[in-house]
Amino acid sequence: MESGSLHTDGNEIGGVLAEVFAVEMTAAGRVCQSCGLDSQVGAHRLYHGAGFVLRCPGCGELAAVIAALPGRNVISLHGTWSIARTSE
Amino acid sequence: MGRQRLPWREVAIREIRPETPSAKTLVLDVPGWPGHAAGQHVDIRLTAEDGYQAQRSYSIASAPGEPDVELTVERIDDGEVSPYLTEEVGPGDGFELRGPIGGYFVWDPARDEPVLLVGGGSGLAPLMAMLRHRRATGTAVDARLLLSARTLEDVLYRDELEELAADGETAPPVVRITLTREDPPPGWSGFRGRIDRDMLTELGLPPTERPRAYVCGPTPFVEEAARLLVELGHEPARVHTERFGPTGG
Amino acid sequence: MARISRGFRGRRRQDAEPGRLPPGQYVTPDFPVLSAGPTPHPPLQGWSFTIGGAVGEGRSWSWEELLALPAEIVTVDIHCVTKWSKFDTTWKGVPVDRLLEGTEPWGEYVVAWCDGGYTTNLPLADVTGGKAWVAYEYEGEPLDPEHGGPARLLVPHLYFWKSAKWVRGLNLSPEDKPGFWENYGYHNYGDPWKEQRYWGD
Repeated sequence: MESGSLHTDGNEIGGVLAEVFAVEMTAAGRVCQSCGLDSQVGAHRLYHGAGFVLRCPGCGELAAVIAALPGRNVISLHGTWSIARTSE
Repeated sequence: MGRQRLPWREVAIREIRPETPSAKTLVLDVPGWPGHAAGQHVDIRLTAEDGYQAQRSYSIASAPGEPDVELTVERIDDGEVSPYLTEEVGPGDGFELRGPIGGYFVWDPARDEPVLLVGGGSGLAPLMAMLRHRRATGTAVDARLLLSARTLEDVLYRDELEELAADGETAPPVVRITLTREDPPPGWSGFRGRIDRDMLTELGLPPTERPRAYVCGPTPFVEEAARLLVELGHEPARVHTERFGPTGG
Repeated sequence: MARISRGFRGRRRQDAEPGRLPPGQYVTPDFPVLSAGPTPHPPLQGWSFTIGGAVGEGRSWSWEELLALPAEIVTVDIHCVTKWSKFDTTWKGVPVDRLLEGTEPWGEYVVAWCDGGYTTNLPLADVTGGKAWVAYEYEGEPLDPEHGGPARLLVPHLYFWKSAKWVRGLNLSPEDKPGFWENYGYHNYGDPWKEQRYWGD
């Protein structure tokens, strides 16, 4: 995203999330801890701060914070995430 | 499971195709490309001589099964990456790429359901991959596109869209365009102004048909279009969105 | 080493005189907007800034009262942890020293709290002694909401995530409590000259 304050969505960090979780994540489901909305990661709003902040498309609550640090990623997940298992 | 599930690959530009005054398609040579699904995107990473890096995501505009990966880049004024990709690069230049990425904003022709596409500006790129894939696979599902563009000159893939939608083609998609900026050209029979309920209603595929909708473009456009679709009665879970940020990718 | 893209430079860059740019930073004339959430738009009627917590006497100002306080105009360099720096930015705001006057703070740590829920933590010593302001003008104009308006904390000697946007108050405490980014991988203190970007730096 070019400089600007508007958010994008979870699709934009599909690559980062696949690197962290070793599976495709934009289609992963999340039930919000605050409003109960069941939606996919790709539908969540994404903000660019010092790191990435993913928010519930229903209520704006924190869904995930992902900071890409040298040599490691620091992740915080909120809500209940449903991630497909692969057969690899 | 391999640790390098999504490796960064070095890729080179094979060819550059101008699309509109502000957009170009980069045709990339990607060694070992595993193929992709319509709607997926790639991350690209550019490294400057002093080590500075910038990373962006671009939708794959080419259909699955094509040998080369095509990305359509729209130049954004004061952008960090798009002016470089639309004005500086030439065949042989390259960068790093990883992909394909995505599982939410993906169209699967095997699902027998109508498809409702709503695109704003360069948001047409992944929707075009879907329409190209639909034609290549001979899939006959009802497909309708509502495209919003500033002017007629800004409509990406204009000739190809006309060809796709032309009478005489098998199961042509319905393509409707709205122009938002100028006074449309004489004889313009398309829509004018920002998308609204009436345009979506006229386009067809009401909620009773249970289409799967894909909306792509700048964030404000996507949010408005998605809101309208849900207001019209489409199930939110059947409206897939991909936001490009304030003005584009 | 990643493949270099011929001719790519990135964001518009400027040169810096030796010693002016902290390690690992690039100078830009742009002012990128970064945020952990949507831009809040609080009505100014009912807006307040509060000093509270481990203080002898808490204080609160309405928007009009804040603007009526003696303010300073300062020109400072700012440094973002995402590696861009911007030189000679001019702000107008009330020194935090002035806001703390008469409150008798007894806690040594501060949490800045904001509309939208953002927080960041700092030692009291890093917002006193002329080091911090509550700023409401940037380059002579009211501070844009995207850049933190109506008012943001300004603490230029630390990475700019400490200069909390949409600030509504400072809460003092005897304990240091990590704020938003400090909880998610970022350095507790954040000195750009020691390149304290992340945990463990």
